[in-house]
Formats: sequence, C-alpha cells, structure tokens
Amino acid sequence: MADAYVFRIRNGLFAGMLSLAVLLAGCGAAQTAEAPDGKWKVTATTGMVADIVKQVGGDHVEVTQLMSAGVDPHLYKASEGDIKRIEDADLIFYSGLHLEGKMVEIFEKMSKKKPVKAVTAGLSKEQLLADPAAPENPDPHVWFDVSLWMKAVEQVRDDLSAFDQAHKEVYAANAEKYLAELKQLDDYARTELASIPKERRVLVTAHDAFQYFGRAYDVEVMGLQGISTAAEYGLKDVQTLVDTLVSRKIKAVFVESSVPKRSIEAVVQGAAAKNHTVTIGGELFSDAMGEPGTPEGSYIGMVKHNVDTIVNALK
Amino acid sequence: MNSLWIMLTGALVAASCGFLGCFLILRRMAMLGDAISHAILPGIVIAFLFSGSRETLPMLIGAAVVGLLTVFFVQLLHQSGVKSDAAIGVTFTALFSVGVVLVSLYAQQVDLDLDCVLYGEIAYVPWDTWEWGGMDMGPRAVWAVGGVFLISLLVVGLFFKQFKLCSFDPAMAAAVGIPVLLFHYLLMTLVSLTTVASFESVGAILVVAMLVVPGATAYLLTDRLHVMLFISMGIGVLCSVFGYMLASWLDSSIAGAMTAVSGVLFLLAFLFSPRHGVVAKAIAQRRVRVQNRQTKPASH
Repeated sequence: MADAYVFRIRNGLFAGMLSLAVLLAGCGAAQTAEAPDGKWKVTATTGMVADIVKQVGGDHVEVTQLMSAGVDPHLYKASEGDIKRIEDADLIFYSGLHLEGKMVEIFEKMSKKKPVKAVTAGLSKEQLLADPAAPENPDPHVWFDVSLWMKAVEQVRDDLSAFDQAHKEVYAANAEKYLAELKQLDDYARTELASIPKERRVLVTAHDAFQYFGRAYDVEVMGLQGISTAAEYGLKDVQTLVDTLVSRKIKAVFVESSVPKRSIEAVVQGAAAKNHTVTIGGELFSDAMGEPGTPEGSYIGMVKHNVDTIVNALK
Repeated sequence: MNSLWIMLTGALVAASCGFLGCFLILRRMAMLGDAISHAILPGIVIAFLFSGSRETLPMLIGAAVVGLLTVFFVQLLHQSGVKSDAAIGVTFTALFSVGVVLVSLYAQQVDLDLDCVLYGEIAYVPWDTWEWGGMDMGPRAVWAVGGVFLISLLVVGLFFKQFKLCSFDPAMAAAVGIPVLLFHYLLMTLVSLTTVASFESVGAILVVAMLVVPGATAYLLTDRLHVMLFISMGIGVLCSVFGYMLASWLDSSIAGAMTAVSGVLFLLAFLFSPRHGVVAKAIAQRRVRVQNRQTKPASH
C-alpha cells in the first residue's frame, strides 16, 4: 500500500514537472514568434474571409472556418466545438460591420486579450454604403465590390505581418499574387457586365446584398426585401418591381443561395400576368460561398459565377 | 473553465425559468415565454430609432419595456374575461406586427433581426465578461441571470403563501383579503424580467422551453407546489449538465441539446411517473380489473 502511495506521488511529481516543461517550452515558442508545429492556427468566420487568410497565410497558417457553405451569417448558430475552435486559435479574422450579428460584440471584447481582427476594419466611411437614416450602420456585404475586398486582403496581410514578423516577406509576396488575381477579376467583372446594354443592366434579387456590386460595376440593383432577412416584403414592392420589369423589358430575375426562392417567384408570376416573360436567371451566391471543392467554393469562383450568370441571363 | 461557465449559465437560466414556469403552468399561461420572444420586436426597433445604434444596452432596455407591456396587456385582457391562451395570442401577434411594420417603414436598410441584435448565444457566454474596476468578474450572463433569479426567489419566497393561493384558487385568495391582482402583476413582472435577461444571455429557444418543460415534468411527479418548484429547478440543472455533454459529444448547438434533454426527461416522467405515469396507470387499471374478476362470482 505504502509503496503504491509513494509511487503515485512520484508519478504526480513527474507529471507536474513534465507539464511545467511543456508550459515553459510553450512560452519560449511564443517569444520567438514561431508556431509550435510551424503553422499558426487561424479561425475565420465566413468562407470569403477564410479564403483570404488561406491565400495570404499560405503554408504558415492552418485555417478553420466556422460558417460552412450555404449558411446565412446573420442567422448562424454556434456549436459546442466552436468554443474550442475560437479558444484555440492564435489569431481570429471576421468580416465585421455587424455581418456576424452579436458575435461581433464578443469579438470586440476578445480583441483585448488576443488578436481578433475585422477584415473590413480599414475601410473608410466614404467607401461604405449606409442608409442615410442610419449612417452608423453600414451595409456589410462589401465583398461584391472586388476593389473593396482587395482592401480586406491588404488588411489581412498587415495583421498577419504584425503578428508574425518573421514571415513578413512571405505574406507580402502571397498577398501581392492574390491581389493581382483579384485585380484581374475586378476587370473581368467590369468588362463583362458592361457588355449588357445599360437599359437592361438591372439586377433583381430577393434581398439587397448587391448594393456594393451595383455601385462598383454600374448595375442598377432592385431587391424585394431590405438587408435584414427577417423583414417581410410589401405588396407594393412586388408591384413596383413587376412594372419596372415590364416597361424596361428586363429578361431575368435572380435567386440567392441563402434566401428562399418563394419571394422572387411572385415577381415572375406577376410579370407573366402582364404578358411579359421573365425567367429566373439562375442562383447567385450572396452571403456564403459554394461547397468546398467546387469552383464556386472560392471567392474568385463565386464572383465569376455571379458575373457569368448575370451576363448570360440579361444579355 | 469555459464549459463550467456555460453549464452554470444554462443551469441558472433553466432553474429560474423552470421555477417561474411552474406558476405559469398552474395559471395556464405556459406559452407566455414564446409570446414575449416575439412581442419584443417593436421594442428593439424603437430603441434603435431613438439611439441609432444596435449595441446591447439600448436593445435590452427596449426589449425589457415592451416585455413588461406584453405581460401587462395579457394580464389585463385575461382579467377582463378573455381566455388566457387567446389573451397571449392576441397580445403578441399585435405587438409583433407593429414591429414588422416599423422595420419595413424605418429600418429597411439595417439588419434588425431579434436573432442578430438581441438574442445571445450560450456558446459565447465565457468571453462576454464583466469588468468592474479593472477586475474580471466572470461572464456577464451569470450575473444578469443570477441576479434576476435571486430577485424571483426572494419575492416568491417572501410571499409564498399568497402566490400559492392565487395560483390555485384566486377566488378563495380574494375572499381572505389577498390583493390577487397585485400578485398576478408581480409574477408577470418577474417572468418578463427573467425571460428578457435570459434571451439576451442565451437566446430564445432555451428560455421558451425551460419556462414550460421542467414545470410540466415536475407537475407529473408531485401534487405539492413547493416540491414541484424544487423538482423543476433540479430538472433545469440536469438539462444544462447533460445537454452540454450531449452538445459536446455531437458538436452541436448547446441550447438545442439542452432543450432536447429536457424533452427526454419529460418523456421519462410521462411514462414512468409513480402516480401519473402511463406505466403506473396501466398497472393500476390492471389491478382493478383483476380485482373485479375475482369479486365477480361473489356478486352473483
């Protein structure tokens, strides 16, 4: 009995020393700014943000994405595992501008203790769109203006570099490469969309996620709902839309991946009653990207898909 | 530590809602929590229009004020002769529709869902801490929900006899000189405070469920009010602990798992309660039948 007791104490001591050693090693690692296994654990909220971090961080980061494909970030429900995914992260990136709802408030609180960064933090007031009645609450869907999303890439590059100065050059080079691709994407979107006659260059969708897109690429945007996915659309909204479709001979309307189709179908039927054929031009990605592994599962693929879908249907 | 804070918050919400839920069940107003969860929409819209911000504090004040209005309207309609379920239904749909109209008139361009600006998420509770004089005092939710729970315990504890008589036999209570209306309004105020504070800390579904299920389960297990109150609080704690374990095992929503556990506990009580359970009743009936058969020849 006594032997077993001593053995247990000795074991305990050993375990204690071992954990102390691990702890010290951990501290040492943090001081030399070197991730334990060579990769920083970065947690990102939406697919679009995760994509930037993957592109800029390259081999030095391991990105965990909280919201999977097709999830509306406004209505995201956390799971038990998210606590660990957030707690264990060395660095957290989120979209910001209240896109993630109350989660943003939590992130702002956490940012006192660990690096938690909004990729939209660097955007100025002039670059953001807001309802004049509520100037302090800008529209969060900035990623559909590719030039604004390039600012978000620069933000991630700067935040990663400040966090891990040893690999500053790598992040700068990765960012430069990605920014060049995004510049191409921006040009592609602009020239493709310009090929639609101006009169018919009208994007009709179910909720107003495309205001930045419209401003950047000179497309008139009409939505049935406001920004909030909870607001109901009014009868008058449907009527006005139908009249516009008929008078301007617009050929197609669009549904969104994270909003039900029902609301936009009412418009199609309304136009049919006035002898104007409107088709559903296709599904656009709005608040979330496509399934991973498909072309639409990356930010570039998603924007391309949206542009091509719109051009094919309206031209 | 994180999981402990979450279980503690869940237990506090479940116990305080379960405790008040017992009285609501006795008064046939169990769905009041669900009603409040919808009715507070105009509160947050008006708070937003006044403050221009979606910060928690103005949202919470707006919700609390309209939450109180809701329970007062329900009580007012009920005592004027409208059935309690109809009173709840009329009040919350009316207030909710005012909210929908206000959103479509003034806040089209701003994301003003209840989910987005008011309802909390129990998973984030450990990080939403309260700092007081530079000291970290632990999660805000624990203080908020713990605070209203303490108030409820204190008020109901002090006037337990009055609350009991008002719930079971209001006419009798009035006859012996208890101000019945005052106690009804007092109870409704406690319900409103508890639900709004809990919504802000852990979201809607957990609160709505915990106002109904633990009380309903306890009702199957006992016929005495004070025992029912203790059982419902105990069930609330069990839901929180086992629910967290379930969520951790499935990597699922924590509030969802806690609610699911409460459903399972109710089912167990429904089947196996010693006096009111399905099994116990079946056995009792069988015994009566056997006795009848044995006594039959004698009756001829």
